[in-house]
Amino acid sequence: MSGLLKFSGRDRAAGPVIGLLLLLLVLSPVLGLHAIPGLGLSIYGVNLVGQVMCFALLAMALDLMWGSAGVLSLGHGLFFAFGGYLSAMHLLKTAYAQTHVLPDFLQFMGQSAFPAFWWPFGSASLSVLAIILLPGLLAFIFGYVSFRSRVNGVYFSIITQALTYTAMLLMFRNETGFGGNNGMTGFNTIAGLPIGGMKAAVLLTMLSTAAVLVVLVGGRAMLATRFGRMLTAIRDDEARLRFLGYDTLWLKLAAWCLSAIIAAVAGALYVPQVGIINPTLLDPSLSIEVAVWVAVGGRGGLCGAVLGAVLVNTLKFWMSAAAPTVWPFVLALLVLLVVLVLPNGLMDLSNRSRAWIAELTKGDVPGAKTVRRLS
Amino acid sequence: MPLLKRRSLLAGAAATLAAPAIIRPAWAADTVKIGCLFSSSGTMANLEGRLNYITQMAADEINASGGVLGRQIEVVTTNPNSDWPTYAQMGRQLLQEQKVAALFGCWTSVARKSVLPVVEQNDGLLFYPLHFEGDENSKNVVYLNSPPASSVLPAVDYLMSGDGVSAKRFFMLGTDYVWPRTINKILKGYWKSKGIPESAWQEQYVPFGFSNFQSMVNQIRSFASQGGGQPIVVLTVVGSSIADFLREYSNQGIQPTDLPVLGLDMVEADLEGLNTASLVGNLNCWAYLQNAPGPRNQKFLADWASYVQKSGAPYSPHVAIDPMVSTYDGVHIWANAAKKAGSFDVPEVRAAFAGLEFPDPSGYTLKMTAANNYVARGVFIGSINANQGFDVLWQSKGTPTPVPYSQYS
Amino acid sequence: MRFGLKAGAALAAALTCLVMGPVRAEAAPDRTAIVNEVCAQGGQGLPQAADQLLTELPSATPDDVSWANRVVGAFSHRQLLCSADGHGYIANGAAGLDAATLVPAKLPDDAAAPFLSLRARIVLERMEAALALVSPVAPERKLAALDTLQQHNDSVPMALVTMAIAQSHDADVTRALRRFGVLQGLHAPDTAQRVAAIRDLSQDTTSDTLGQLRSLRDDPSYASDPSVAAALDAGIAHVQLWVRVGNVLALLYNGLSAGSILFMSAIGLAVIFGLMGVINLAQGELIMIGAYTAYCVQQVVRAVAPAYISLYPILAIPLVFLVTAAIGIIIEATVIRHLYRRPLMTLLATWGISLLLINLVRVGFGPQNLKFITPSYLTGGVSVVGDFFVTWNHLAAIIFAVLAFLGTLALLRLTSLGLFIRGVTQNRDMAGCIGVSARTIDMLAFGFGAGLAGLAGLAVAPIYNVNPSMGTDFIIDSFMVVVLGGVGSLVGTAIAAFGIGLVNVGIEPFYGAVAAKVIALLLIIAIIQWRPEGLIAIKGRR
Repeated sequence: MSGLLKFSGRDRAAGPVIGLLLLLLVLSPVLGLHAIPGLGLSIYGVNLVGQVMCFALLAMALDLMWGSAGVLSLGHGLFFAFGGYLSAMHLLKTAYAQTHVLPDFLQFMGQSAFPAFWWPFGSASLSVLAIILLPGLLAFIFGYVSFRSRVNGVYFSIITQALTYTAMLLMFRNETGFGGNNGMTGFNTIAGLPIGGMKAAVLLTMLSTAAVLVVLVGGRAMLATRFGRMLTAIRDDEARLRFLGYDTLWLKLAAWCLSAIIAAVAGALYVPQVGIINPTLLDPSLSIEVAVWVAVGGRGGLCGAVLGAVLVNTLKFWMSAAAPTVWPFVLALLVLLVVLVLPNGLMDLSNRSRAWIAELTKGDVPGAKTVRRLS
Repeated sequence: MPLLKRRSLLAGAAATLAAPAIIRPAWAADTVKIGCLFSSSGTMANLEGRLNYITQMAADEINASGGVLGRQIEVVTTNPNSDWPTYAQMGRQLLQEQKVAALFGCWTSVARKSVLPVVEQNDGLLFYPLHFEGDENSKNVVYLNSPPASSVLPAVDYLMSGDGVSAKRFFMLGTDYVWPRTINKILKGYWKSKGIPESAWQEQYVPFGFSNFQSMVNQIRSFASQGGGQPIVVLTVVGSSIADFLREYSNQGIQPTDLPVLGLDMVEADLEGLNTASLVGNLNCWAYLQNAPGPRNQKFLADWASYVQKSGAPYSPHVAIDPMVSTYDGVHIWANAAKKAGSFDVPEVRAAFAGLEFPDPSGYTLKMTAANNYVARGVFIGSINANQGFDVLWQSKGTPTPVPYSQYS
Repeated sequence: MRFGLKAGAALAAALTCLVMGPVRAEAAPDRTAIVNEVCAQGGQGLPQAADQLLTELPSATPDDVSWANRVVGAFSHRQLLCSADGHGYIANGAAGLDAATLVPAKLPDDAAAPFLSLRARIVLERMEAALALVSPVAPERKLAALDTLQQHNDSVPMALVTMAIAQSHDADVTRALRRFGVLQGLHAPDTAQRVAAIRDLSQDTTSDTLGQLRSLRDDPSYASDPSVAAALDAGIAHVQLWVRVGNVLALLYNGLSAGSILFMSAIGLAVIFGLMGVINLAQGELIMIGAYTAYCVQQVVRAVAPAYISLYPILAIPLVFLVTAAIGIIIEATVIRHLYRRPLMTLLATWGISLLLINLVRVGFGPQNLKFITPSYLTGGVSVVGDFFVTWNHLAAIIFAVLAFLGTLALLRLTSLGLFIRGVTQNRDMAGCIGVSARTIDMLAFGFGAGLAGLAGLAVAPIYNVNPSMGTDFIIDSFMVVVLGGVGSLVGTAIAAFGIGLVNVGIEPFYGAVAAKVIALLLIIAIIQWRPEGLIAIKGRR
């Protein structure tokens, strides 16, 4: 069973996945801008691809912690939304520069101008910096405190979930100053392109796809280094690693902050595509769903995360339009199927032989004895 | 909901399951599509869900009399799940993928605000059936109900007058979002203009779906006992919170004759299942009440009752609420405008609004002008009766001209 | 409420005239004039008519009083009909009576009941009360009428009270009338009478009284008399003290009631997560199913034995427990059993189950909130001290939580099943060695935890919205309660639940409900960083 934990098996999927992503990167402008006559996608279609790519990015962020270091965060929605809010602030500032109409949530709260701390968001480069630094800082503080007091395993998951939930309640208040329930909407342009237009959709889709590629390739390279192996060691037996003299706190913290930043970037790319951000992104169920995508695709190695996110979300977009009442049942059964039959998601299907699957379906739950801290 | 109704409920559930059948990608040339953005799950489901059915009912009515410009209306329903960004997502899908000619949707202002950029970018047309905070005037939204100047202020005026209760002090309790916040802001501006000191009011907000009003009602009681004139509660909580508030209010033994509640979003459907004997006298204000006099209302109520029977809608056939009538009006106004314009194209339909009139179930004749996309409606102030309904306490003489922007905000 | 209405003042004036009646010449109530006044503008003339009636009542015979009662009663029940030409009728079945003469008369087609505006209701309520004092009605009615007048701080002239006392044959009523009379002395010219009135008023320690007393302080005639001023200050101090005591009690009570809801929603989890270590994200849905089962019980009782509908909550207790326990056992046997060694996978699996349950219920029952019949013994409440008001439904929730706590504690500590559960959770292999079937115990313990969650659903049904997704509101709170209290400690869970409830309720009036919850959650997260084992740490294997 130790083969389950190895990387070699997963590499088989990595090639095609990277290839497909490259293809997507090329195809989205071609199809979106209707370069080939008679063959093209609508704005809606291009937009959908972009959104799914953002979810893939978010799933990889989670997989970096869960698949590699064995720490399951149920609070990645927090970083996703954080990035989203920061990017929305930038978009609102740009919209204000053009229209000179203050966002309505500031108006009905009795403000006559943007609060002072909004100033960096007028500039695109400062905004990008904020999107990377601020969620990273939040992750650092929370991670430092939690990992230092050795809040582990299930407890960490519960605490991160509670943190996201708290943030949701906080952002739902109008007094918090970020639009409360309404959230932020009414964006005008991004990089000079009108939001909601085809050019902006293509740009954002390409950016998201490129980000997925970068994180996938870069992340896999990183996991192959000493740092990656140390993370795997933490996952398998943290106590032993500590006894061997390694300071696991900083290792975990580094991975955690990186993961949070990737999630924030995903959120920042997501918001201009949907045109609105509000606290529902902080709903704990979204964060759990991210874990489901990763579990469906298969943990570890980031490829499964991308596959899972793409598959589940495509299915979701299709089904929630075609059969909204059926979708939750499909999702629930998918989760149970993965948990009970394919402990490592679709990667099991692609990596295991037929014999293994046959053994799986008849015997007791496989891996129950050997896969201990992994799950 | 008695057990006997289970069958119809299940039928309703089956109907929802079958709903995707309506969403057919292929559409025949002899139909025109309109889209619905009303949630059938989540906190708004009980209220918004009915509007899907009323849209269909209005469309059936028009189809039975030959459709619009020779086309039959096809209603495409969605379920945004009471989740505001999903309204935008679904709206985009309806406009771009389904190519609907008009959207009917949203209950809360939050939902409308999230759909607003979508209809503006795609030059769509959203018919919005709720009374709301005003201060908005988009060429892509038809505001079927009243802005505060023609609904809320008359009701508050009534309570402040000797005919009402000579109200002097005000407790504003609302759900924390744009509509209550703006309404309360307008009210405060209005009171200031009447020389009422700031110490005479207090403001509190609760989150969506809030249900435990125990300490909130405690606060209201202590506010009421501070003296300084007759207090009233201006209630702007929405959705299921309304019934929860009323239950706790009567549990703590407060009498409407002591401390009346003006429930601005309170409709007949919120009182279903409540024992209203101890709530008799509390007020609301809308552009339609179920007890509105006149034969047109009788016909509408009978039509709705038989439509519920026919379609198995999981709602009471004996309850009609303002947003239902507003949505119904909206479908007819859209159809009439399209007929007048001779086209389904949004700019032409919009141009046809000016001068349009529609005699609706409330008994008033609705009017639209070239000035904006607001619809002039009558105003009713209702008073809760012992039968889970509202009696008409006061109604306006004509249809006041809607004022989009309030002078008090 | 202050009696700040014009009509109220008019009523007081009218009552004054009423007692001074004998001084005036014969002026039997002009019934026709009064009725016509009422009907003059479709019921708008009520306040004036009320004035006139009371002015002319003094010379009234008992017959006149009963007529007045009849007309006022008819008005408030909307049986008084006005025709377009301003004549009044009383609906009497299909037939009608002339309102002025009470002789049968044909109802005109255009006769309609005048609308009962809020103002009219207030006038009628006070009129009925004033009339009751001089009518031959049961002592309870008279006491209630006095309550109404007193509650609204209506000033009624002394002489009316004297007159009512003369008519009274009941000791309680006479005493209450005397006390009422004393209170009317607040504005009496006599110092002693005023001091007595202030003392008497101070016995009613509510903030209403406080406001009343404070408003007296502004009265110039009070400032001039030192002994009255002293009595007033003493009275205010006294009332203030008790109002404060009442506020503290109310805070504790609200905290206790919020805590008991939290505790009920967490107690099942304390067993399933605390003792067994299973992260059950479907716990909230078990609560939801409990509430739905209670609803089904209510519907069955309503259909089968409508007379006993108010007893359904009691009947529901065992049924709800059994149904949710059975569902819990099914979940354990089909899914959880395979996942005991993979806690994070249990988390995902139970989330899947919760999604499944929510949507099954949504399809079966629809998405709307369920309507529960609140039995009469659970509506309303009683005022205790100051503004402290005990509502029965919250009191029932508190009692229910205490019983659930004691029952669970007893089961775990005193029964052999409890012993086995503790044994298996502390050392599974060793328990197996001495012949305890760990499988069976797992199943029973999970079923027990699920049943407790079901009871929580029953407890919250009258207070919260019951709909398919209600469970999601509870899940995070209940996990926080269990983790804060210390995993595995039932007492810790109780302490944590009460503590969080109190913090929530304490903050709410100042920063609002949401901020209160945010602060409480941040506090918990901080405490867990400081004490990862929770408030009460149990040593044992998890």
